[in-house]
Amino acid sequence: MRRIAGFAWLLSLILLQYSCRNDSHSSPAAGILSSDIINKAERLKINTNDSCTIVTLLDPWQGSDGVQINYYLIKRGSRSISVDDTSRIIHVPVRKIICMSTTHLAMIMALGEENSVAGVSGTAFVYSQNLLDMAEKGLIEDVGYENSLNSELILKIKPDLVMMYGVGGESAGYTGKIEELGIKTMLNADFLENDPLGKAEWIKLFGALYCKEYEADSLYRSISGAYNSIKDSIRLGTRKRPKVLTGLPFRDTWYVSPGNSHLSSLIKDAGGEYLWEGTMSSAAMPMGLESVYMRSLEAEYWINIGAVVSKDEIPAVDARLSTIPAYKNGHLFNNNKRITENGGNDYWESGVLNPQLILKDLASILHPELFKDHKLIYYRKLE
Amino acid sequence: MLLLFFSLDIFLGSVSIRPSEVLSVFLGNADSNIETIIFKFRLPKAITAILVGIALSMSGLQMQTIFRNPMAGPYVLGVSSGASLGVAIVIMGFYSGIAPSDLMTFGNWVLTFAAWAGAGAVMLLIMAISARIKDVMTILIIGIMMASGLSAVVSIMQYFSSETMLKAYVVWTMGSLGNLSSGQLQVLAITVIVGTIFSIFLIKLLNAMQLGENYASSIGLNIRSARVLVFICSSILAGSVTAFCGPIGFIGIAIPHIVRNVFRTSDHKVLVPGSILAGGAVMALCDIISQLPGSESVIPVNSVTALIGIPVVIWIVIRNKRVSGLSDG
Repeated sequence: MRRIAGFAWLLSLILLQYSCRNDSHSSPAAGILSSDIINKAERLKINTNDSCTIVTLLDPWQGSDGVQINYYLIKRGSRSISVDDTSRIIHVPVRKIICMSTTHLAMIMALGEENSVAGVSGTAFVYSQNLLDMAEKGLIEDVGYENSLNSELILKIKPDLVMMYGVGGESAGYTGKIEELGIKTMLNADFLENDPLGKAEWIKLFGALYCKEYEADSLYRSISGAYNSIKDSIRLGTRKRPKVLTGLPFRDTWYVSPGNSHLSSLIKDAGGEYLWEGTMSSAAMPMGLESVYMRSLEAEYWINIGAVVSKDEIPAVDARLSTIPAYKNGHLFNNNKRITENGGNDYWESGVLNPQLILKDLASILHPELFKDHKLIYYRKLE
Repeated sequence: MLLLFFSLDIFLGSVSIRPSEVLSVFLGNADSNIETIIFKFRLPKAITAILVGIALSMSGLQMQTIFRNPMAGPYVLGVSSGASLGVAIVIMGFYSGIAPSDLMTFGNWVLTFAAWAGAGAVMLLIMAISARIKDVMTILIIGIMMASGLSAVVSIMQYFSSETMLKAYVVWTMGSLGNLSSGQLQVLAITVIVGTIFSIFLIKLLNAMQLGENYASSIGLNIRSARVLVFICSSILAGSVTAFCGPIGFIGIAIPHIVRNVFRTSDHKVLVPGSILAGGAVMALCDIISQLPGSESVIPVNSVTALIGIPVVIWIVIRNKRVSGLSDG
C-alpha cells in the first residue's frame, strides 16, 4: 500500500513538474535547479525549478493516507504558470500573513518577518512579548477559532496567505469559505512530524514563502548540528536509560502518547526510556488508569504533566497519583516554565525551533551528571 | 448475580492479576502494588458501578411509573441536560481566559459542583412547574422541551469552542466510573442510600399512581404533592450520578423493563428491590466490559451500557409485543 502510494506520488510529481515546465513558455531552459532540500521532515517536500517552487505536503492531517497537496510558489513579477487549481498558486515573498497556530509565529520571527503577521488565531495564547505588543497596538488581529473563524475580518485584512493546520477532512469546512472569497490558504503539518528535527525543518517552508531560503537553511543547519552533537555526547556519556512517564489522566482515562511520537523521540535522544516506547499509533491512545498506574511504578521520572505548575496540584487531579514513585521521589518536571498568564506556552512556540535546547533540558533532567552548568529553559521542576 | 458481577469486577481489569493474587490481597499477604490496584482502583470503581446502577434504575422506574410511559427514563425531566450545561460552562465557557489544559488541574470537584448546580436548577424548575400543573403529560413535554433547549445552548458552546475543549467535554459525556476520590465516593454512597430508602417509602404511592391518577386521588392521595416527592427522589438519584460520573445512558430505561419481565409483575414491592439488584449487577458487568480485560486499552462505559441495553430492550419488546406492566395500567 505504502509502495503504491509512494509510486503514485512519484508519478504525479513527475507529471506536475512536466506541466509546470511546459507552461512556462518564457523560460525554455526551465528545469529542476535544486531537487528536494528536505532531510528529516516526512510530510514536506520542496522542489525548485526556474519558474516556480513546488511545495508538496504529504498526508497533512491526522489519519490521512496517501493524500498529497501541491502549492506553487511564484516570485512576484515573474510570468504566471498554468496549473489546474489556481488557488494553489502563491505569490512570494508573502507580505501579509494570518497564522492559525503559534508554532508558525516562531518560524516567521526567526526569519525576522514578524511585521508580516496581520492576524493570529487566539492572540491570548501567544507567548512572544513582541507579538503581544503588536496585538495590543492593533497591528495583529485575533481572527477567531476553527469553526468560529471571523471570515469578514480575514477578508478585511486581505492577507496574501492564511497558514492553517489540518485537523482532518472536516477542516475543509472552514477553509472552504475563505478560499471561496479568493484568499489563499496553505496547510501546515509541522505538528504531525514525529522527529524533533523534522518539526524544526518546516522553517524551510517559511524560507520559501519569504524568499529567504538561505537564511532558513542555515538556521536549520545550526539547529540540527547542535541537536546532533548534544545527542552524541548524551549517547557517549551515559550508561543507563531511566524510565520516563508522561501526561496526566482525564477522569479515569489516561491518553498516552504513542512510542512513535515527537515526545518519545525526544526522551530517547535525551537518554531516557519512554514507558510506551514500543507502541505505534497515529494518535494518543486511551488507557485505563490502573494499567498506566502499574507501568508508572517502574518510572524514575515524570515529565510533561498537563498544565500543572506545582507538586500539590497532582493529588488534586486524583489522590492516587501521589503514590506513584516518581511523585514520591520528587522527579517531576513540566514543560511550562515559560508561560503567560493566559496559558500561552513558549514550549509550543519557540520550542519548535529549539529542539536542541529542549533536548539539553531533558538530558540534564534525566542525567544530572551531564551538562552540570545548564539551567533549565523550557522545563521547570515541580516543588 | 449482583455479588457475582461485583466480585468479577474486582477480579478483572486492564492489568491482569491472577485470581489467587486477588484473594491473597484480601487475606492481607500480597504484593503492595497489587493491593493498591485492588483497594485504590478496582474496589472503589466496583462500588461506584453498583451505586450508579442502583440509582439510575430506581430513578428510571419512578419516571416510567409516574408518566406511565415505557420510554421515560431518569433524564426525561432534563436533569442530565442541566448537569451537562453546568459542565459545559466550566469546560468551554472560559473562552479566552483559561487554557483548556488547565482544566485537568481544576480537580474533580469543580466539574462535580458545576454538574450538581445545573441538575439542581433544573430540578427546582420542574418542582415549581409540577406544583402548578395538573396534567402529567404536560410536565413530561415541558421536561423534554427544557432538555432540548439546554442541549441547544450546549451545542452553541460546542460550536464556538476549540478542539481540545470539545474533546474534554465529549470525554465527560462518555461517562466514567473510576475517578471518584474517596470523599466523593462517600457523598455518592450517602445520596444513593438516602435516595433508595426514600424510594422504598414511595412504593405504596407508586403502586397507587400506577393504577391511574383518578384511583390514586379516590383513595385520598394528593396527586401533585405525591408527584413532587417522586420527582425530588428521582432527581437526587439521577443528578448525583450525573455529577460524579457523567450522563450514563440506557441503564435507567432498560433495567425496569428487564425486571418487569423477569418477575412478570407491576407491583413496586417487587420492582423496587428487583431494580436495585439488577441495576447494580448490570452496571458492574458494563464496567467489566469497558475495561476490556486483558488489554491496556479501555472503552467508554456509556457505549457499553448502550450496546448491552439496546438488544435487551428490543428483545423484550418484540417478545411481548407490548411493554408489560405499563400499557395495561
